Amino acid sequence: MMMTVNSLSIPAHPANRSFSRFVANGDWVIPVFLVVWFALVVVPLVVLFAFSFFDTKSYMTIYEPSLNTWMSLLESGRLGVTLRSLRIALTVTLIDLVIAFPFALWLAKGRTSKSTRAIVIALLTIPFFLDISSRTIIWRAILGENGAINSLLKSLGLIDAPLNWMLYTEWSVHFGMVIASFPTMVLPIYLAISIIDDALIEASGDLGASPAQTLFRVIVPLALPGVIAGVLLTLGFALAAWIEPSMLGGGFVNLLSNSVESAFTALRYPVVAALSTFVIVLLVALLFILLLLTRRFSDVLSAFRVLKN
Amino acid sequence: MMQTPAPEQQPDRPGTAHPWSYWQGWPSLAKWGGVVLLFLIYFPLFWLALMSFSEHPLSGIPLPFTLKHYAALFDDTRWLKPFGASLSIALLVGAISAVVATGVGRVLPKTGSPGRVLVLCLLPLFVPGMSMGAALFIFLRSVLGVKLGFGSILAGHFVWAFPFALLIVLVLTTRFDHRLVEASSDLGASSWQTFWRIEFPLLRPAIIGAGLFGFLLSFNEILRTIFLRGTETTMPVYNWTMAASQQSQVPIIFALATILLAVTLPLLGGAFWLLYARMDKD
Repeated sequence: MMMTVNSLSIPAHPANRSFSRFVANGDWVIPVFLVVWFALVVVPLVVLFAFSFFDTKSYMTIYEPSLNTWMSLLESGRLGVTLRSLRIALTVTLIDLVIAFPFALWLAKGRTSKSTRAIVIALLTIPFFLDISSRTIIWRAILGENGAINSLLKSLGLIDAPLNWMLYTEWSVHFGMVIASFPTMVLPIYLAISIIDDALIEASGDLGASPAQTLFRVIVPLALPGVIAGVLLTLGFALAAWIEPSMLGGGFVNLLSNSVESAFTALRYPVVAALSTFVIVLLVALLFILLLLTRRFSDVLSAFRVLKN
Repeated sequence: MMQTPAPEQQPDRPGTAHPWSYWQGWPSLAKWGGVVLLFLIYFPLFWLALMSFSEHPLSGIPLPFTLKHYAALFDDTRWLKPFGASLSIALLVGAISAVVATGVGRVLPKTGSPGRVLVLCLLPLFVPGMSMGAALFIFLRSVLGVKLGFGSILAGHFVWAFPFALLIVLVLTTRFDHRLVEASSDLGASSWQTFWRIEFPLLRPAIIGAGLFGFLLSFNEILRTIFLRGTETTMPVYNWTMAASQQSQVPIIFALATILLAVTLPLLGGAFWLLYARMDKD
């Protein structure tokens, strides 16, 4: 950055000409960037993994390799939290997938106009840039005992007592997470479907395939890279969800993030590392399972082609 | 689920738009499923803004309206410091993301193996925020012994914002016509002139988009900030701790969030206008 500014102020000086060509040519950018990126992304993740094999004694990290921290994840209390997180994350991902795949298909191939598509994509992207805590806390005023829905139902005479299963239950946590992660599921699937050549779909119909055959033997295999990306992104979000369970679960729904938070405040960093690594390991394992299951359907590398396009 | 009458006849009938669906209702079911979820994403924003004017923001009825929460917000100055911190971090992240994404994005399509570098660049998108925050926290704090605060938040936000910025820049650079650069140098322009007068103006919508997205992603980031904040407090962290700990503070948070929405949504509208109207010309 600094070099760019320097060369801007003295562009034509002969001694600087080769230097400015060097800057504008930009071949050095990628190696320099990769070094910084490794230090900021890859090294911390490796360190995180390594830390999960350390132990804590009286608020101090013991730098000796051990499996104690990992074993403690299987202890009674934690195991329940882990299984509950997994169950909720899988449910949320499944619900999102069931709603998102047809929606993405409709959006990409349902004869929607270009501006409809642009608006829907914009509407799906905007939530990434909004503050999640204020968006989530407002559900308390809608779902709560004296909230909007209960007030409405009461004034319509449909209920006598407020429904209190709507807030601070697993239901509200699912609800909040499904909404928050919906765009992460739709967008990759949409990208994958929208690059399918319309001619393929038409050809399939012309050659006598039933609509169901066209859907499951042409569209779904071609959309798989997007589906895998969407499932991984949503599952990663749901496994590590922090704001939704704490705000809509009201302390009654403990997930992995609550364990991480309590370990973090108790300075038990190896536990933080093990739980965070656990989430990543689960995602990688799932990626491999999905790739193995789908290998016969589609070329895995086309996932990258989707990203490139 | 639904039994269809005589599906064989459908492909010939005019108006069967979808070769992948028997039942006419599937496309509209697919559409409305998504529309309901979009409604559930945006209704809270509307309700938040409405309730910020309400006498009893946590009740179900918005009426009667009042401005007292906004008055309380302006009497209470505690949110100014986190707001300033978020603003300066977000401005820096936006600027750095835009510059670095431009630098990498314009060279990446020309290199031998762009795929591998791209996967590495997009890796943070697939690492959950909690894990990335914890990883950076342990690395910076326990291994390097860095004092956490402004700088560490900046690093964490950059890692989060950069993949988005790079993707936006790549949309334009992968379609960039390199004959323009050759023509420019054939006509005697220095390489710097070529960059500044030919390449930069063509890439400008993407660079501005990358900066805007970087700014907004950083401004609203919370999961990584929770780990990396040290003694610093950003706006989302302030909102979160206030909303989580004190019920009496919630109305003020509603007012504050509404003001932020009023600033953020037009910015986003502008960014999307740039993306669609300016970048999608061809």
